[in-house]
Amino acid sequence: MTEYAIRITRLSYSYPDGTKALEDVDLDVRVGERVALVGPSGAGKSTLLLHLNGVLSGKGMIRVMGKPLGDTALREIRRHVGLVFQNPDDQLFCPTVFEDVAFGPLNLSISPQEIPHRVERALRDVGLDQSIRNRPSHHLSHGERKRVALASVLIMEPDILALDEPSSNLDPRNRRHLIELVASLPSTLVLATHDLGMVMALCPRTALMDRGKIWADGETRRILADARLMEEHGLEVP
Amino acid sequence: MRHNFIDRYANLDSPLHVLEARTKILGYLSLIAALLLMPGRNDVVLLVYAFVAAILVGASQVPLGYIAGRSLVILPFVLLAGIAAPWTNSFDGARFMALATRSFLSVTILLLMTSTTPFPELLRGLQKLGCPRILILNLGFLYRYLFVLTEEVLRMRQARDCRRAGRAPPRVELKLLGSMLGSLVLRSFERAERMYQAMLSRGYAGEFPVLAPRRFTWRDLTFLAGIALLIVSSFRYAGR
Ligand SMILES: Nc1ncnc2c1ncn2[C@@H]1O[C@H](COP(=O)(O)OP(=O)(O)OP(=O)(O)O)[C@@H](O)[C@H]1O
Ligand SMILES: [Mg+2]
Repeated sequence: MTEYAIRITRLSYSYPDGTKALEDVDLDVRVGERVALVGPSGAGKSTLLLHLNGVLSGKGMIRVMGKPLGDTALREIRRHVGLVFQNPDDQLFCPTVFEDVAFGPLNLSISPQEIPHRVERALRDVGLDQSIRNRPSHHLSHGERKRVALASVLIMEPDILALDEPSSNLDPRNRRHLIELVASLPSTLVLATHDLGMVMALCPRTALMDRGKIWADGETRRILADARLMEEHGLEVP
Repeated sequence: MRHNFIDRYANLDSPLHVLEARTKILGYLSLIAALLLMPGRNDVVLLVYAFVAAILVGASQVPLGYIAGRSLVILPFVLLAGIAAPWTNSFDGARFMALATRSFLSVTILLLMTSTTPFPELLRGLQKLGCPRILILNLGFLYRYLFVLTEEVLRMRQARDCRRAGRAPPRVELKLLGSMLGSLVLRSFERAERMYQAMLSRGYAGEFPVLAPRRFTWRDLTFLAGIALLIVSSFRYAGR
């Protein structure tokens, strides 16, 4: 097994309209490590996460579990990386919650008898009531949809979890629950968020992004306590 | 915001819902073909078909109002044909009625098919019947993306209504509508793209999986045999 779950070298990306979103980003994440990406709005956090399973592909080199991200390995890499999008509407595309959560396992040819159990467990894990199963995802509240999206990814048991703002729109109890849930998972974690409390609870390491670059990368305690650094990049010491 | 309008009642548990998709596709399509190809103008035969359709609707447990309401969508087209008829030389009221009945019944049967079969199962059935894969794929995406479009429309309308006070002059309204349509296309396009990525991330490889699909049983056989019997005997009767 490789030592690094993710190795990103000199990654740059511009959106088709010319917006420069990433510039020469380097980031290595070890297997089992939990890293937070913090930074102001528009820093490029989501853009970076979208590169991890090939949704976007910019200039530079990305290796996931030792394999370079190219077209050939993409299918396999997508099974390693579970990406939860910032906007749950982009992630849910089935008529009912059940079908959405079951979509991944069905594609993995897991035996059909086992699927309802797995879905049940995944929904329970994210703190959703079983009665939600047969409702259309699009009638749910934002926080509920967010959790369905998370369940639809967790059920795949990915080695690497990439979460984009998982705690947005969650009430305090569900946020707590989410933190405990993620803490209990063995996966490597990349967490993009504005929720510094969650960062401190989950990630020993933080990378600070702003304007497409990583400005600081190191121990969370040290970075979040550095008032000058934080204020320079539009953040506040929590 | 509701989007699951095509197969809204497809997950009930009636005697028709438990049939396999192929059975329903074959059965209903041959009913429709028989209706449209029936020689002559035999009111008794039409009445029998209407009766059978009514029984099927009853058995399906799909609300009558739903089916009837949707079937009426065909009415304007039939009326149009009726209005045009006097200009062609062979207008006659009975013939128009027969045409209207046949179209109405065909649509009802088609609606029965889609509202007693979940869409993914319908696709699977079509695929097993040898329908080209590319068509199946396209239908599948059409089904997934239809609601993206409706939802974007609803959302944009909401946003517009929240921000506007009173009525603008028609010219301005039209311009607004134009730019809304433009951004609707863009927004739906980008969103559909992201959804496709999400599907790929969860192992989508060109097929929409179905959990525990229905199997072909003696019930399917009975259903098909019944329909075959109806069609053969009605043709013999009508051809007399
Ligand atoms: N589809 C797009 N087309 C063009 N530019 C985009 C697109 N998506 C994002 N951008 C731009 O790329 C930059 C980085 O955006 P990104 O979404 O990665 O930021 P972020 O750090 O995730 O912000 P937030 O904290 O608000 O989620 C921003 O300047 C943004 O305007
Ligand atoms: Mg973002």
